[in-house]
Amino acid sequence: MNLIFETDKAGLQKFYEEIIAKFETYAPVEKFEKFDYKRVSKLEECNPDSPIPSTMSVKPLFFPKTAKVMKFQEDSSGTTVSETDEDPLAGKRVILGVKHCDARGLQVLDEVYKWDYIDTDYKKRRENTIILSTRCDKAGTQCFCTSLDYDVENSDAHDVRIVNGLDGKIYIQSVTEKGENFLKENSSQQSVVGSQQSVEEIKKHYKSFESSFRLKMNYKEVNEKLQKLFDSPEFDPVSSNCISCNTCAFICPTCHCFKISDEKIKDTGVRYKSYDSCNNGYFTLMAGGHNPRPAKYRRWRQRAMHKFVYYKERFGVNLCVGCGHCAISCPVNISIFDVVNQVAK
Amino acid sequence: MDHSKQIQEIASRLFAENKIDYFVGYRQNSFDDTQVPFLITDPAEIPKLVFTERSVFNLSNYLKPDHTKRKRVGLVVKGCDSRALNLMLTESQVKRENVYIIGICCEGVLNEKGEKAQNCVECVMPDPVVYDEILGTASGKREYIVNADIKELAQKALTERADYFENIFENCIRCNACRHSCPLCYCAKCCIDQETSTLYHGANTSSAGMHALMTWSLHLAGRCVDCRNCEKACPSHLPLHLLHKQNEMVIYENFQQHLAGMEKDDRGAFYKYSLSDPDDFIL
Amino acid sequence: METEVKKAQGTMVSAENPDITAPADWQPVIMGILCNWCSYAGSDLTGTSRIQYPPNIRIIRVPCSSRVDPWFIIKSLQTAADGVLISGCHPGDCHYISGNYYARRRFLVTKKLLNFIGYHENRVQFSWVSAAEGPKFAKVVAKVTEDIKQLGPLHRYKKENF
Repeated sequence: MNLIFETDKAGLQKFYEEIIAKFETYAPVEKFEKFDYKRVSKLEECNPDSPIPSTMSVKPLFFPKTAKVMKFQEDSSGTTVSETDEDPLAGKRVILGVKHCDARGLQVLDEVYKWDYIDTDYKKRRENTIILSTRCDKAGTQCFCTSLDYDVENSDAHDVRIVNGLDGKIYIQSVTEKGENFLKENSSQQSVVGSQQSVEEIKKHYKSFESSFRLKMNYKEVNEKLQKLFDSPEFDPVSSNCISCNTCAFICPTCHCFKISDEKIKDTGVRYKSYDSCNNGYFTLMAGGHNPRPAKYRRWRQRAMHKFVYYKERFGVNLCVGCGHCAISCPVNISIFDVVNQVAK
Repeated sequence: MDHSKQIQEIASRLFAENKIDYFVGYRQNSFDDTQVPFLITDPAEIPKLVFTERSVFNLSNYLKPDHTKRKRVGLVVKGCDSRALNLMLTESQVKRENVYIIGICCEGVLNEKGEKAQNCVECVMPDPVVYDEILGTASGKREYIVNADIKELAQKALTERADYFENIFENCIRCNACRHSCPLCYCAKCCIDQETSTLYHGANTSSAGMHALMTWSLHLAGRCVDCRNCEKACPSHLPLHLLHKQNEMVIYENFQQHLAGMEKDDRGAFYKYSLSDPDDFIL
Repeated sequence: METEVKKAQGTMVSAENPDITAPADWQPVIMGILCNWCSYAGSDLTGTSRIQYPPNIRIIRVPCSSRVDPWFIIKSLQTAADGVLISGCHPGDCHYISGNYYARRRFLVTKKLLNFIGYHENRVQFSWVSAAEGPKFAKVVAKVTEDIKQLGPLHRYKKENF
């Protein structure tokens, strides 16, 4: 059975403080009214219970917004290519306050990163990180994680789960083996080990969380219908007010497209890998001028189909995790939930 | 400020007379009191159109060439939106005969917190400057007020200011939403995206954020109308108006109180000059 | 007090930010963007007249001072330069009749904005130098070099080290 601790608010704070003192810790820190995962050295700096609608995804800690791929140097004998410096994110670390949808996003990303070419940097970062997830008490207006193809209640995407029980107690539960070992080592402040009753309480909390969703859909049906709807004319009206601003892809916990750019000063340079977005008008522009997706609705079709059909076909998991970040950040509030549901209607 | 009824009437009339192919207005979000832009081709959807003080987004953005492909468009504009549209007309991005403009004498829109937005408090021109039809009562041009945030920042020490802006540029994720949401950024390919240029800075670092935002704001200097579409679009909630308002203030104070898009055929402060422009900073 | 100690040890302290220090013999790199018709010819005259001026300036020739996009200034400051000097024809003398009038407006806004985000106002300077003003060019370069020496090396907003 999984390890469960029962504690209260003060106990949880002590638990967090112990972790922050011991490990390299990342947690949501408020910047311009938005929470972003940053390195913290004190509990006061961060808010592990940050509300989901204003918290950026945890993706940048694993797939940074920009990363050095290689260095190069030109001299009279030619060009020499060398490795970049040590990856600053690859050390042992703990992330506090990760939302379960974000954590699931990483699990989904794993599929593409371990397929064919194995990205060693990403792998190292994943292996060296312990994810502590606080379960949401209430769903946001744009959330729909429970309607998708994964089990939110028993999700093993995070290592340790923290639940603010309805009975006023706080439950710290290990989910994976990594999490169990972590809890065993770092629970000097915790004493009350939970029982069968705690499991019941956690279940009860999930029930109340599940009932708070505004958006619900039948995933299986939508997925099956979408597979045959590549030529649907519905993609045009649903995307009509999109302004192709790319925001959705940049803040999405699972979008993983990137571009490569070389930057040079004098004879030395670096090759960078940074985010890109398929909503960008010239994302698919080829040398020679051909662009297979010049129209907005084609780009939206690609986005929706990739999230709900192609990735599922290829890797068996749905690329969208239902966090609703794209709809919240979108300046014109287009929700991928509305798009797929209207198309598959 | 509720003009929903009148807008619906005008839109149905325009469709009936076959004057437009598209109508751009606002629609209520089903889950809260915010509104989103709404593009209509089918008159059956007209009843969904609304306009209240929650109609925030600048719809002139939908006249950018890649959105409407030179179709005949009817749209709703507030004071600031109409200034942007005026500039687009002057810069030959839109043909006047292709747009049917419903101008609204704006009483100020609300921000996310439900207060009157800062740019509406400091607004110089709440009435539309270009329109075919006008709704509401015009209140006339107001006096220019220097932005409160700019005043506050200007008093800080140089290093303090630099730290503040470094924080901004570091948090920029370079999604370019600011650019895409700006009605006046209509270039087919932005100069900061020219991969072949030696000035290209494609990475996503703090210096690249500074490079992109500074270049962007200086290319919009003398043209920005302070509609704050960029700020609403920014996923990192960066206070992008600081850069624009600073430029606007310098231009207003030094170049004959120039404000962008106020008059017909006025292309912006950098497209004209005066022999008496300040010269004292030049050696 | 601390500043004086550092100076006594042969270290220069930036007037912009006291945290920045450099060796006393530190030499700045200045990007000089000169208009083809006046300032570039003026700098040529300085050379042919054998007038001495600091060698810190690296000159780039442009057709007109209004060719200078604010972007050039930002990019220079981000990469190698500690300061930028842009020079063109005197008002009224522009080869293209009015280019420098347009440039003048842009320069003012650029300078104020750069100052607003945290660059010292002396980092970016402008001058009018005609083709006949060799001595003036030398004087301008000497002044700009001296100003930037006072400010010390530029660290802020620099492109990430390779």
